[in-house]
Amino acid sequence: MKREELIKKWLDNELDSKELELFKNLDDYEDLLRISNSMRYFKADSYDTHVEFEKIEKIIEVKQKRNWFKPLSSIAAVLLVIFGVYYSFSIQETEVSTLASQKQTLELPDHSSVSLNALSSLTYDADEWDINREVELKGEAFFKVEKGATFHVKTASGLVTVVGTEFIVKDREELFEVICYEGSVRVNHNGSSILLKEGDRYTYINGTSGQTKTTQENPSWINNTSTFKSMPYSVVIAEFERQYGIAIHLEEIDAKQLYTGSFIHDNMDIALKSITLPLNLKFSRTNRMITLKSE
Amino acid sequence: MSKSLHKNICDKVLFSNFFKKHSEDLHSFLYYKFGNHLNPKDKVQEAFIKVWENCKNISPDKAKNYVFTVGNNLMLNEVKHQKVVLKFQQEKPTSHTNESPEFLLEEHEYSLKLQKAISNLTEAQRVAFLLNRIEGKKHKEIAQLLNISTKAVEKRIYGALRKLKEEIKEL
Repeated sequence: MKREELIKKWLDNELDSKELELFKNLDDYEDLLRISNSMRYFKADSYDTHVEFEKIEKIIEVKQKRNWFKPLSSIAAVLLVIFGVYYSFSIQETEVSTLASQKQTLELPDHSSVSLNALSSLTYDADEWDINREVELKGEAFFKVEKGATFHVKTASGLVTVVGTEFIVKDREELFEVICYEGSVRVNHNGSSILLKEGDRYTYINGTSGQTKTTQENPSWINNTSTFKSMPYSVVIAEFERQYGIAIHLEEIDAKQLYTGSFIHDNMDIALKSITLPLNLKFSRTNRMITLKSE
Repeated sequence: MSKSLHKNICDKVLFSNFFKKHSEDLHSFLYYKFGNHLNPKDKVQEAFIKVWENCKNISPDKAKNYVFTVGNNLMLNEVKHQKVVLKFQQEKPTSHTNESPEFLLEEHEYSLKLQKAISNLTEAQRVAFLLNRIEGKKHKEIAQLLNISTKAVEKRIYGALRKLKEEIKEL
């Protein structure tokens, strides 16, 4: 057998015992064996099929998850938007508010109308309206309530309950006032319950409550005029500040003195004269600040 | 057998068996061909994932060729015909050894020579020779793996051995 064939057979582990003896007698047998034996040092990094398969399974799983996650996430996003829109239009309470020197009239779901005076806000739940006619008021508003279930006006000071009527509720820091222009209104305030009839006026100023009459058919501010009847001067000033969005500083003036009269909302110079001349006061103006003092 | 059962290899069990049958071979093939510095394990992983992703278009009898071609191409994308130097790992001498320091040093020097000689083999020779000597594969198996004839494998391995012997003598 030729040398080359012998080596080739050896390389393929095909030598029988007789051939193996012949191979061992080759002159370069030692060299060949040494090369062959040293090859193990060059062995490839160990490869664990199971470990590697687990890795691949994980990657494939993640990719597949992404496959269904993608369309699903877009569906979820669309649903979220639809839900969000639905929520903001229906579930949430509606809030309407006015800034200083701003008035706004709005219609409630049952066509009752509400006029908000300056710096006031009204909150109601349109969704619940059929079950519960209830609004929350901060500030002052004139209500024209349609006939129907009991209508509640919640304020920080008290609860006003009516059936179908026209009235104003005024809940300011200095004054809580309810005037009934038509029908009847029940006021729950300070632990007592008072029933107001047409033309009745309930006021609560500085810890004393009182009931008077009015001959007006609706609040004067609806016609851009604020009217006062024997009101502390501080109440008048506060209203003025709200209607014109300015600050008024009183210099050595008795804020408790009573004022009867009115001021208009669309001309500050005339309005200022209306509240100062009757009391013999002088006014001076700087930017957003007005100072009043005795003559 | 699988030909008649499956049109493609999208079946999980089929894919798993396919992986277990060929992944290690592909790894050795890529390792001996391109060396260890290009992460043959990652390329094996990538190649098999490609198979899975395109499983609909791959019939079971074509899958092996496909995954070897993909693995090879993935490597070629990175390699720029640089010389492949395989690292070697000699057994570390234990705290007590019967071999003399001279012997160990000589062994190490021999391995360095061999390393250089291996890197001078042609790519075809190296892959066939190492699969044969290190992985203990028969000529026929290598022929199947590389899609060449048994004769060609024989020639490559024998040629490699002769070249190594000559180079080591010279060095």
